[in-house]
Amino acid sequence: MTDFSWVGVGPLATRLLADFGAEVIKVEDVKELDRVRRLPIYKDGGSRTYGDEDAAPDPNRSGMFNNYSRNKLGVTLNMRLASGRAVAERLIASSDVVAENFAAGVLERWGLTAERIRELRPDIITCRMTGYGQTGPEASYRSYGPVVQAVSGLSHISGLPGREPSGIGLSYMDNLAAYYNSAAIMMALYRRNITGVGTDIDTSAIEVGINLLGPILLDVQAGRGPTRRPDFPAGNMAEFSRVAPHGVYPAQGEDCWIAISVRTDSEWRQLVGVMGDDSLVTNPAFQTMEDRYRNHEELDEVVGAWTRHFDATQLMTRLQAHGVPAGAVQTAQDVFDRDPQTHARQVMFSLDHPVIGTARFESAPIRGGAVEPDHWRSAPLLGEDNDYVFRGILGMSNDEYEALIGEGAIIQAANAASGAV
Amino acid sequence: MTEDALFDGLRVVELADDPAGEMLGKLLSQMGATVLKVEPPQGAQSRHVGPWAGGVADTEASLAFWFYNPGKASLVIDLDSESGRRQLHDEAVQADVFISTAQPARCSDLGLDFSALTRESPSTIFASVTPFGLSGPRADYAGSDLVCLATSGLLITSGYDDHDIPPIAPGGGQAFHTAATFGYLGVLLALLQRQATGIGGLVDVAMHDACAVTTELASMYWEYPKVVVQRQTCRHAQPSPTAPATFLCADGRYVYFVLILAETKFWLALVNWLDEHGLAADLREEQYSDYSHRQKMFPHIQGLLEAFFSLLDGADAYNEGQRHGLPVGILNAPEDLLDDPHLTARSFFTPTNHDGVDLLFPGPPYRFSTIPSPPPTAAPHLGDSTVSRGSATTRSA
Repeated sequence: MTDFSWVGVGPLATRLLADFGAEVIKVEDVKELDRVRRLPIYKDGGSRTYGDEDAAPDPNRSGMFNNYSRNKLGVTLNMRLASGRAVAERLIASSDVVAENFAAGVLERWGLTAERIRELRPDIITCRMTGYGQTGPEASYRSYGPVVQAVSGLSHISGLPGREPSGIGLSYMDNLAAYYNSAAIMMALYRRNITGVGTDIDTSAIEVGINLLGPILLDVQAGRGPTRRPDFPAGNMAEFSRVAPHGVYPAQGEDCWIAISVRTDSEWRQLVGVMGDDSLVTNPAFQTMEDRYRNHEELDEVVGAWTRHFDATQLMTRLQAHGVPAGAVQTAQDVFDRDPQTHARQVMFSLDHPVIGTARFESAPIRGGAVEPDHWRSAPLLGEDNDYVFRGILGMSNDEYEALIGEGAIIQAANAASGAV
Repeated sequence: MTEDALFDGLRVVELADDPAGEMLGKLLSQMGATVLKVEPPQGAQSRHVGPWAGGVADTEASLAFWFYNPGKASLVIDLDSESGRRQLHDEAVQADVFISTAQPARCSDLGLDFSALTRESPSTIFASVTPFGLSGPRADYAGSDLVCLATSGLLITSGYDDHDIPPIAPGGGQAFHTAATFGYLGVLLALLQRQATGIGGLVDVAMHDACAVTTELASMYWEYPKVVVQRQTCRHAQPSPTAPATFLCADGRYVYFVLILAETKFWLALVNWLDEHGLAADLREEQYSDYSHRQKMFPHIQGLLEAFFSLLDGADAYNEGQRHGLPVGILNAPEDLLDDPHLTARSFFTPTNHDGVDLLFPGPPYRFSTIPSPPPTAAPHLGDSTVSRGSATTRSA
């Protein structure tokens, strides 16, 4: 795969294929580094926000880049030069897939139109990943995760009624758009295995996001109608079921919480049993599920006054022993270092990196044995695989390779790593 | 050009009583697979959950059921009976893909033993999507969208600046949806492998795991600088507080915009835009060409932006900002999307009819130049075992 993609969506999308054995060749530009190589998420980086970049960052130190580009090969080409673009065309000709997530039109400026790419490799699969898609009046609009979340409606449907939306506290849509791009590439490969015919993929992150809105998209059309109303959104209540208690309750410790979602009468009886509060059984406000739903604010007070005395994990364990759906609200620290479930299923794995050292990575969470990943390396240093890819895979002679380095079409690994051009 | 749909001829049997399994079936159905949805005599769980078409509870009018089950057939099997469980087993081993949301204890009750099933039918792909997976000490923990968002580390990153308010779950059922997505990725990997080897096998996906690998900065800030990020209102959870990113506009709508000062190109675009409205104030002064000065003046600039957005309607702020090359996003409500000109130009929504109710359904989350996707058809009535399909057409990009 020739992978021109950068920042979030593209590299995450191609990572899944790299995890499962695809030879993904990441083509990088030394003058305009992949932004993720610049983000100051370093082992010794402290509490710097991701926007707080160094003026001249070491491109090989970023934890986020290491995470997003594991299992890939890395080369550095100067696409401003015709000779650099010619090398890229040779890579494409030897590839099954081309991936990119630039703003619409960048590939065309390099002469890499859909027609040209197909000329280079008639059965190629081209995956083009953008926020808005390749067509339509807003195709040139700029976006990244939170913008996609806003425009697709996901931010608006997340929050408490009567307040501004709380949205999603991460670039959720960078992740999810990436996953659907991985899917699309595999769908195209599945098809090509049958027909021998390639395809052009046009994926819009906003269209992915709209698919993730769920039944609310039909509710606004044929159910409860428009959402700008006082009882919307649902916060931590169940979105469509009239059930309670269903929420996030305080636990012992600062910013510690436990999620409880009772959906049946039997779960309610079990919860009351663990709480040991018989007054709840006789309280007329809480007799039926509908009573508990209508009086949920009062009920939430009662439940929260009880939960706040307990450690979230211990309380989860007790409630789950009685079949009550409950989950400690865990941090990434809990999930990486303490969660026995995550550990047992080896959701995280480790790889060594020559500059960063050993680090843990989130795996593709697919267990069961039908398919197995091959985690063979951490992310490439800038230009690390030039020699292997250009001489090994493309079969360039020494003279040709050296000449391309000499004219600056290929940026030599040693120079690339130090940022010198 | 008439072409076969991608999964034409692929037989999928779905035993799913939550949106994670149902959405996985939908992703396969959407591209042409024949999906038989196994339902108990009283109907699948999602038929009993609203919202309801017309606002009245009716197992044939659940919009949740309609959303997650278009194009499937309904196969009623009484799993409380021995013969029903035998029928389920026979359907499972004859399927190309068998989808299950049963947790381990429930699998035992149903007689679903995946290691035995994979031996009996090596070519079948058994796709299990459950709250905590089929293995591990918490495999039988009772789950829900909220519970799995909580345990995965995703929930704590979302909510408000005010931490007296608990973390607030992203809406829409995202633990279900993320798990369905990884279920689909697992099935696709297994299908590709099966094309080469003829062998399927077990795909075991957990909502907890799927969300745990989807926390983005939270994971990386813990793994690298060992910092736990803190949630903030409608923007990234970060190691330390950042400025608000949602701005209230004159018409009561919100836009999302993060002030990025480091890049000169963005800075000049922003100043030009403000200047067009006569609101650039002092920002044109020479000293602002220096990044460190802009950093120092951040609160002042943020204040100007708040005032600026409060004078514009949301749609104008969005479209003007984008035309200046700035990544401004408008916070759309679902109802705002249905007549959105861009989505309309891309023919994203398709009109469908469910029992006399006209609905716009979203198109698939990807488009292919040479692979058609059949137009969406209605979800089945209970026991309606025929798959109805319109003719497959290519949705060109």
